[in-house]
Amino acid sequence: MNLKNSTSQTQYEEEINVSTNSGLPPKVAALSPTEWLKANLFSNAFNSVLTVLSTAAILLIIRGLLSFIFNPLRQWSATATNMRLLMTQAYPEHQYARIWVSLGFLLFLTGVSLAFWRAGRRVQLSQVGKRLLAIGAFILLATLLAPFSSKATIIWLIVGAFIVGLGLLLKPAHEDKTISSLTLLSGAFLLAILSLWVVPYGHHSYLSTRTPKILAEPGTVAMTTKLPWTIMFLVAVCSYFLGAFIREKIDETRSKAVLSVTWLISPLFLLFLVLRDPDFDTGHLFSTDIPIFLFFSIVGSVLLLWLTRPDVGEKGRVISAAILFVGFATFLFQMLMIVRILTLVLAFFALAAPTFSGQKPARIRYAKVWIGSMVILCWLITAINTPSTAKVPGDFFIGGFAITLMIFFFTMVLAFPLGVLLALARTSKFPIFRMISTTFIEFIRGVPLITILIFFSVMVPLFLPDGMDLTEIAAVTIAFIIFEAAYLAENVRGGLQSVTRGQHEAAEAVGMTNSQKTFFIVLPQALRVAIPPMVGQIIATFKETGLLAIIGIFDFLYIARSVIPGQTEYMGSTRENLLFVSLVYLVICFAMSKASQRVEKRVGLGER
Amino acid sequence: MTENETKSSIRGDRDLANAQDIIVCEGVSKWFGDFQALNNVTATIKEQEVVVVLGPSGSGKSTWIRCINRLEQHQEGRIMVDGVELSNDLRNIEKVRSEVGMVFQMFNLFPHLTVRDNISLAPIWVRKKPRAEAEEQASSLLERVGIPEQADKFPGQLSGGQQQRVAIARALAMEPKIMLFDEPTSALDPEMIKEVLDVMKELALSGMTMMVVTHEMGFAKEVADKIMFMEGGQIVETGTPEHFFTNPTEERTKLFLSQIL
Ligand SMILES: Nc1ncnc2c1ncn2[C@@H]1O[C@H](COP(=O)(O)OP(=O)(O)OP(=O)(O)O)[C@@H](O)[C@H]1O
Ligand SMILES: [Mg+2]
Repeated sequence: MNLKNSTSQTQYEEEINVSTNSGLPPKVAALSPTEWLKANLFSNAFNSVLTVLSTAAILLIIRGLLSFIFNPLRQWSATATNMRLLMTQAYPEHQYARIWVSLGFLLFLTGVSLAFWRAGRRVQLSQVGKRLLAIGAFILLATLLAPFSSKATIIWLIVGAFIVGLGLLLKPAHEDKTISSLTLLSGAFLLAILSLWVVPYGHHSYLSTRTPKILAEPGTVAMTTKLPWTIMFLVAVCSYFLGAFIREKIDETRSKAVLSVTWLISPLFLLFLVLRDPDFDTGHLFSTDIPIFLFFSIVGSVLLLWLTRPDVGEKGRVISAAILFVGFATFLFQMLMIVRILTLVLAFFALAAPTFSGQKPARIRYAKVWIGSMVILCWLITAINTPSTAKVPGDFFIGGFAITLMIFFFTMVLAFPLGVLLALARTSKFPIFRMISTTFIEFIRGVPLITILIFFSVMVPLFLPDGMDLTEIAAVTIAFIIFEAAYLAENVRGGLQSVTRGQHEAAEAVGMTNSQKTFFIVLPQALRVAIPPMVGQIIATFKETGLLAIIGIFDFLYIARSVIPGQTEYMGSTRENLLFVSLVYLVICFAMSKASQRVEKRVGLGER
Repeated sequence: MTENETKSSIRGDRDLANAQDIIVCEGVSKWFGDFQALNNVTATIKEQEVVVVLGPSGSGKSTWIRCINRLEQHQEGRIMVDGVELSNDLRNIEKVRSEVGMVFQMFNLFPHLTVRDNISLAPIWVRKKPRAEAEEQASSLLERVGIPEQADKFPGQLSGGQQQRVAIARALAMEPKIMLFDEPTSALDPEMIKEVLDVMKELALSGMTMMVVTHEMGFAKEVADKIMFMEGGQIVETGTPEHFFTNPTEERTKLFLSQIL
C-alpha cells in the first residue's frame, strides 16, 4: 500500500512539473539510483525494516540453494551423463538421424515463421548493457556467497567480472543503437552450442552384449551432438533469412495460412518419421489404402460440390443425415476402420455444407478442403498401421522428455476442438446435446486426473473387444484428452457467455443461420475472451504430465526420480535430477506464459 | 419553407395510395411471463412508406418492431411480411430476415471484423455473392453513408455516429425491402445525431420502406408519412404528421406531446 502510494505521488508531482510545457507528451524524468531506492524501498521506517528483512531472507535462500548446488557431494554428472536417457529414454542410437531430421524440420519452420510474423523487437544496446551488468553483479555476489573451492571462486569471479565489463562497455551506448532480440537469442544459442565443442559432456550407454550393463562414457554426448547441433543452428538461421527473403515476394496472408496449417500437421508427419517404419507396406498401400482414398476423394468432392449449391435445400439435409446414419451403421459390421472413419468425416462435411455454400469458387474451395483432409487422414491411418522399426528394450520405444512432449502435444491438438464442441453442445438449443455434454463435463471435473489415468491405463484395455488393442501410451493420451477437453470446454463456455445478446441479434437480423452465426460471429469473439484462462489450462496440462510417473510410464520425471538413481554409479542422486527437472518445467512454463501475454496483446488489437 | 419543400419532394415521387401492403399485423399480442407487452396490435404498412412509432418508455415499441423480424416471437395474431407469414417455420424466418434490415440502438457491429468485413460478411455467406462483388458493394455503401475512408478500421476505432452509419450500411448490404430502426440515435452524442438522421433521410428519399422508433420529433415531422402512437402495448392513434402534431384526437397522445414538446 505504502509503496504504491509513494510512487503514484511522485508521478503526480512530475506530471504537474511538466504540464506547463505544451505540445510534447511529458517525459518522465528518470530517478537516480539513490532516489529510486529512497522512493521505493526506504520511503518510511516500516518499509525500511521490510526491505532489510526481505533482503536478508533472499540472501539466505540464495546461499542455501548455492551451497546445495555446489556442494562437492552433489553428483551433477548423474544428470549430465544421463541427458540422453532423460530426453528420449532408450531410443536406439543408430536411429537418431530421424530425430535430428525432425528437429531440423521444426527449426526450419520456426525460422521461416519468425521471419513471416516479424517476431522479435528492437532492444536498446544500453538496455542490454544494464542487464549484463546486473547478471554479472549477481554472479560476483553469488560467487562470494557460495562455498566454492578457491580455484572455482577465481574462475567464476573472472567470468562475472567479464560480464560486468561487457555491460559497462555497452551501457553508455546511444539510445538509437538497437539490436534485434532474435540476434540476442541466437547469440545465446550459439554460445551453448560452441560449448559442446569445448566441454566434454558425457552420456550413458546400454551395452547389451556380453553381460548387459550400463556404462558412463565421458565425452560422448559432446562428440556425437556437436556437429548436428551446429547444423541445426545454421538451418534455423538460414531459414530465417530465407523467410525474410521470400516474404517480400509472395502474397503474405496466403503463405501465413499455409505456414499455420503446416505447423498444425507437421508433428503428425514427424511422429511418423520418429516412430514408424519409413518403408511402406507398398502392397497393402496400392491394393487397399490408395483405392479407398481415391474413392472417397472423388465421390466426396462430387457430393460436396452438389451439397454446397445455394439452391439444394431440404434434400441436402436428408442426404447428409443419411450418410451420418450409414457412418454409425458401419460399426455394426466387419469393416476396415479406415472406411468407418472416412464415412463419418464425410457425414460431418456434408452436414456443414449449407454453412459454407456459395458461388463456384467457394464450392471448389470446400471440395479442396475435403480432399486435403482426406490426404492427411489417410497418411495418418497408414502411419498407424505400419509397424515400427525402432525396436528397443523395454515397453515403449520412446520415453523421457520426448514422451512428455508427445503426450502434451496430442492432448492439446485434440482436446482443443473437443473442448470447443463440448462447450457448443452445452450451450446449444437441443436438450439432448446439453444433457450429454453437461453430464460428461461435470463427471470428468468431479474425478481426480490420477483416477482417470489409472482407469485408462489399467481398466480400459481389459474392456476392449478381441482383436483391438490399445497401447498404454495411447490409452493414457486419451485419458488426458478427455480430462483437458472438459476443462477447456468450461473456459470456452465462459467466452461464449461473454458474447452479448446484441451480437446474436445482429447476426440473426442479417439472416445468418445458426451455424453461420456460431462460426463467424460467436466463436471468434468467445475464443478471444477465453485465451487467458485457456493458456492457464495448457500450462497446467504440461505440468500434469508429471503424473505419468505415478502410473509407471517412463516420462521425464520418472526417469529422473527412479531410473537414474538406480544406476550403480549414481545411487542417491535423486535431488540433483529433480532440481534439473524442475528447472526445465519452470523454463518452459515461464516461456509459455510470456508468449501468451504477447498473443493476448495481439488479438486484442481490433477491440477497444 | 425548406421543410415543406423536402417533405413534398419526398412525397412527390411516390404513389402511396396505390402501393401494396408490405407489413400486415393483425391482432398481434405478446406476453413476457404474465406481463402483456403487446395487446392486439393491428396495423398495415405500405411499400415505400416511412412510419415513425412514438410512445413513452415501456410502451412496447421495441417489442413490436422486433416481432417483425422475429427477434421476438408473438404469441397471438398474424404478422405477414411481404406475403410471408411469420411462424415457427425456420425457412420463412430466414427468408423474412434476409429481406428486412435492422438497425439497433447500440449499433451491435461485430467488433472482431473490419468495417468492410462487417458489411460484406452476410452478402457473402447468406446471399452467396462472390467475395469481390460483395466488397465492391461494401465500398459503394460506405460511400453512400459518407465514410468511404473507414473501410479497414475496426468498429472500436470509430465514433458512435460512424458506427451507426456502418450498421446502416451493413443492413443495406443485404438489399432489404424494409428497414427497421429501433432508436438509432438514442445512444449518440447530439453532434452525431444529425449525420445519422441525414443518412436515414436520404434512404427515405430513395423509396425504402422504413419503420422507425425514435424520439427525434424533427425527423418524425419532416420525413414520416404516418405516425403511430403506442401506449401500454396498444396502438392508440395513427395519422399523418400534420394531424398528429397539430390536432391529435386522443387524450393520451395530447398528454405525451405536452410532455415532450
Ligand atoms: N425480455 C423481456 N422480458 C421481460 N419483459 C420485457 C422484455 N423485454 C421487454 N419487456 C417489457 O415489455 C415492455 C415493453 O418493452 P419495450 O422494450 O418494447 O418498450 P419500448 O417502448 O421500446 O421502451 P423504450 O422507449 O424504453 O425503449 C416493458 O415494460 C419491458 O419491461
Ligand atoms: Mg425500446
